[in-house]
Amino acid sequence: MISTLLKTATAALLLGAACLGAIQPAEAGAPKDGKKYKIYLSLSYSGNAWQSEAANIVKALAATPPYNDLVELKEVISGADPQAQISAYESMIDSGADGIVSFPISATALNRTIKRGCEQGVLFFMYDATVTENCAYNVSYLSSGFGENSAQALVNALNGKGKIFLSRGVPGNSVDQRHTDGAKHIFAKYPGIEVVSEYYSFWDDRTTQQETAKALAAHPDVQGIWAQAGEYGAIQALLDKGGNLVPLTGENSNGFRLALADPAMQAKGLTGVSAGSPPAQSGYAFKLMMEILTGKRELKPTNIEYPLPWVPADKVKVCSGDTFENGCNVFPKDRVPSSFVTEVLNPVLLPEVNIDSALNGTPVKGATIQPLPAEIVKAANEPGINCARCEAAKDQYKLTKVQSTVK
Amino acid sequence: MSDIATTSAAALPAARSGPAPRHRLWRLTQGAGLILGLYVLLYALYAYQQPRALDAYAIAALMNNTAPLALAAAGQTLVVLSRGFDLSIAGVISLCNVVLAVYPLEGPGGALVSMLLCLAIGGAVGAVNGWLVAYLRLQSIAATLATMIICQGIALVILNAPGGYVSEWIADELTGRLWGAVPVSGLAVAAVVGLWLLVRRTDYGVALYAIGADEPAAALSGVNVRRTRFLTFVMAGMLYGLAGLMLSAQTATGNPNSGAPLLLLSFAAVALGGTSLSGGRGGLFASVMGAATLTLLQKVLFSSGVSSFYTGLFQGVVLIVAVVFSGLLTRIGERK
Amino acid sequence: MTVMNENPTSQARFQQSGDTRRSARISAETVSTLAVAILCVALLVGARFISPSLGSWSQVETVLVLGSFLVVLSFGQGLVILTGGLDLSLPAVATLGGILATNWVGASDPGAWYLLPLVLLVCGCVGFLSAAGIVWLKVPPFIMTLAMSIIVSSLLLGYTKGTPRGAAPDAAVALMKGHLLGLPAPVLFLVAFVLLGWLFQSRSIYGRYLYAIGTNVEAARIAGAPVTAMRILPYVISAVSAGFAGLMLVGYSSGATLRMGDSYLLPSIAAVVIGGSSILGGRGTFLGTVGGAILLTTLGTIISAIGLEFGLRTIIEGAIVLTALLLLREELFQKLGSLWR
Repeated sequence: MISTLLKTATAALLLGAACLGAIQPAEAGAPKDGKKYKIYLSLSYSGNAWQSEAANIVKALAATPPYNDLVELKEVISGADPQAQISAYESMIDSGADGIVSFPISATALNRTIKRGCEQGVLFFMYDATVTENCAYNVSYLSSGFGENSAQALVNALNGKGKIFLSRGVPGNSVDQRHTDGAKHIFAKYPGIEVVSEYYSFWDDRTTQQETAKALAAHPDVQGIWAQAGEYGAIQALLDKGGNLVPLTGENSNGFRLALADPAMQAKGLTGVSAGSPPAQSGYAFKLMMEILTGKRELKPTNIEYPLPWVPADKVKVCSGDTFENGCNVFPKDRVPSSFVTEVLNPVLLPEVNIDSALNGTPVKGATIQPLPAEIVKAANEPGINCARCEAAKDQYKLTKVQSTVK
Repeated sequence: MSDIATTSAAALPAARSGPAPRHRLWRLTQGAGLILGLYVLLYALYAYQQPRALDAYAIAALMNNTAPLALAAAGQTLVVLSRGFDLSIAGVISLCNVVLAVYPLEGPGGALVSMLLCLAIGGAVGAVNGWLVAYLRLQSIAATLATMIICQGIALVILNAPGGYVSEWIADELTGRLWGAVPVSGLAVAAVVGLWLLVRRTDYGVALYAIGADEPAAALSGVNVRRTRFLTFVMAGMLYGLAGLMLSAQTATGNPNSGAPLLLLSFAAVALGGTSLSGGRGGLFASVMGAATLTLLQKVLFSSGVSSFYTGLFQGVVLIVAVVFSGLLTRIGERK
Repeated sequence: MTVMNENPTSQARFQQSGDTRRSARISAETVSTLAVAILCVALLVGARFISPSLGSWSQVETVLVLGSFLVVLSFGQGLVILTGGLDLSLPAVATLGGILATNWVGASDPGAWYLLPLVLLVCGCVGFLSAAGIVWLKVPPFIMTLAMSIIVSSLLLGYTKGTPRGAAPDAAVALMKGHLLGLPAPVLFLVAFVLLGWLFQSRSIYGRYLYAIGTNVEAARIAGAPVTAMRILPYVISAVSAGFAGLMLVGYSSGATLRMGDSYLLPSIAAVVIGGSSILGGRGTFLGTVGGAILLTTLGTIISAIGLEFGLRTIIEGAIVLTALLLLREELFQKLGSLWR
């Protein structure tokens, strides 16, 4: 498998060189025997807990035996500018990358560069955010229905009636749009649900808190909040007002999950579901890529679905150790910051890592890389998100985690 | 234009507030020579680290990456020369980009119409800016902040999430190479620079430098300050429109926030090119080279393997050192 | 530096020259400050048409608390702009303040009484470095502070390895969440801060020096102003107040993030300019800036209550900013003034 890949790569390189009318320097196509795989980790921006956990998991896995002898991992952070990431991809391809694990800043802007990379034999694995170029692998929970399921859970909690806020992500972002479309599809079915304010919180606790405070000034009588990442800020804004809490659905921050399980918060009226984007996707993507590179798995480029984490208030369980054991899914307050995203761990897909790996990028002592389950789940088509010029499924917004309980 | 023409001779002295250029060397330091030198140096370093840097493909890819920022910085230069700031740059580029992605026009004819559309959008926004700043006398930074916000809003109304497809002709041809060697994006930038060299010698060009250097003096010597300033914003807007076109060609898709990253970078490119942010001194070509240097710097930092957390540190230091160095050389030159 | 060995005659001469220039300007500035305040009130009252809960005391409280960050940040920005500069490093320095506060101090560290000032000192040093580059290396303020901002952000990214840790210091939480005399602590703090800022900028000798330098450096030098020190001072104050805003943000949201300052850059400049200051320096008051900051925050709370899609809301926001700018033009006041007479 490696040799065929290398041959393809060399052939593509020579072909490319011939097309350009110039001979490549000899080292670029040299055989890799005894050399390490050159893997790049390309982030668009860094600076929030989610992004750094996702990156740390990949670093920890790359340092876990036997990958520590097989992989040379380099991290590149290119900022929130698609052009900078295009430039970074170009550089990676030119320096002979074997694979690129990446959080892409745009679903479409990078396509041309990715295509060129594929032609040179580079494997592209996108995690969480996706691209529509079909020679790249997308590993993402996006098709798993976060928006519609969490919206239905909120509707159930409100019994189909009430004024709600939508705390969205980044304006003009396709992930935010997909979640919100799903949620609105559900809300539209219930005439009793009234969306009184819809604001952008940039997937950030602090912004969520400020924007929620603004919305509360106009609508102090809100009865429920549907939030994307940053949900813990919405709770803080409600607490700042000194009033009651309301049913709230959001993503996977440690602070939110602890609050859901806190009897004092429940007494004030907090209930809800913690679901949404798991940083563990990066680790899954990296391991899949390594299995392909080392010839342990045959897989054509495709869209792979990562299962949607789904933790209702009554299923929150505090962990005593450093991993998810015995079905626990949140860590004590003094162990991690409230913005820590708990779903960075996955006992089935990523048994090698613990929270120290997520916080520091360090491997767990004595751990070795375990094989992934053979089966993958193919993701449904999401036009403009993971495929170009394609049709969405008829039941795109079907509920998978929760059913309507409203009479 | 006519009344500017009659007064150009009078305006001339005001355009040269420093000592007259006697030396060839002095002119080199004053103009784009320095930044050009820095660019060549960086490119040599890049080519040394990455042998593929000299491929026709790599050069074209770099040019494609540079073109949007270079054109945006070129427009910004005009406004800065007239002692203003133009924040609408981010709005115009986003707006052009979403228009091209939502209403793609196929074929070379479609590309021409698209280009005219971009020029029209940029020109219209520039005209509003020019009206607000030159005739209603608002501060440029405040007026263009408002127009930027409005343009961003319009872009979001046209396209509320990234998507759409820029016409294939634009995406392929504008990023391709003529005769397998000459990058089209490079030609586009060169054409703008060439045009500027012509415009610079016209009465308008002279008037622009004059009002930047000393507005009251320029007005006294008969320059129509308002009209010059108005025209400057219009032309700058049209250049942002072109930047939006090149950006769309490169990303081949629409994004309502696509212009935002270019806002501060355009100022950095202008300053790196040695154009004084207090007006009257500098040039468009130098800013283009400044933009090219900023883009190249990313490549060099990548291939020298600087830890990704600290690339910003190097970018910042290079920016300061380059500006200090060029300032030093300029002062040495002026002493001669 | 030269502040110390200032001789009394030159200082007296300077004050005189400063005063004559100011007296002519005072009325125009007072009018524009008042106009901003009136516009704020008009917006708040007008907001009742959008939602009946708006225009209430509760909304005013929200605006004042959320606006306090912007007021503190734009105080520094205003001083820098007054001397003809611009500070793009505010967001990065605010983040620096927040990150250091959570990392070094944490929730209930007994050492907070000296660690928190130390955090502000570090921020001040960043400001001093910017100023040093601007004054001695002659780097344009725009570039120097932009580069500084990139450098500080990158160092913070490396220092935290991407994940900020720690909790907000108790003092910061008390400042932002506490109540005193039935009023929220941040509102009381805001009043005190505005008073001090106004005294500094409009009533102290240092403020007058800054106006003089912004109007004409050479003239200020001749009049005996300690020019070098007074060109450095605004950047240091700006960085310290940005660091303080970082502490406030941390107290408000009980934690730091690496991008927490980002959204304040353009608003800090806009608040100063809407408040009637000239971007070229030498003109403007802190009270005007405060009005600008509160106006922008009020606008934000009202806009978010309008039930329109985000793009249209953005257009309306831009249009209101533009209208405010057109209404607040000095020329308009002069014209009105001449009608009055």
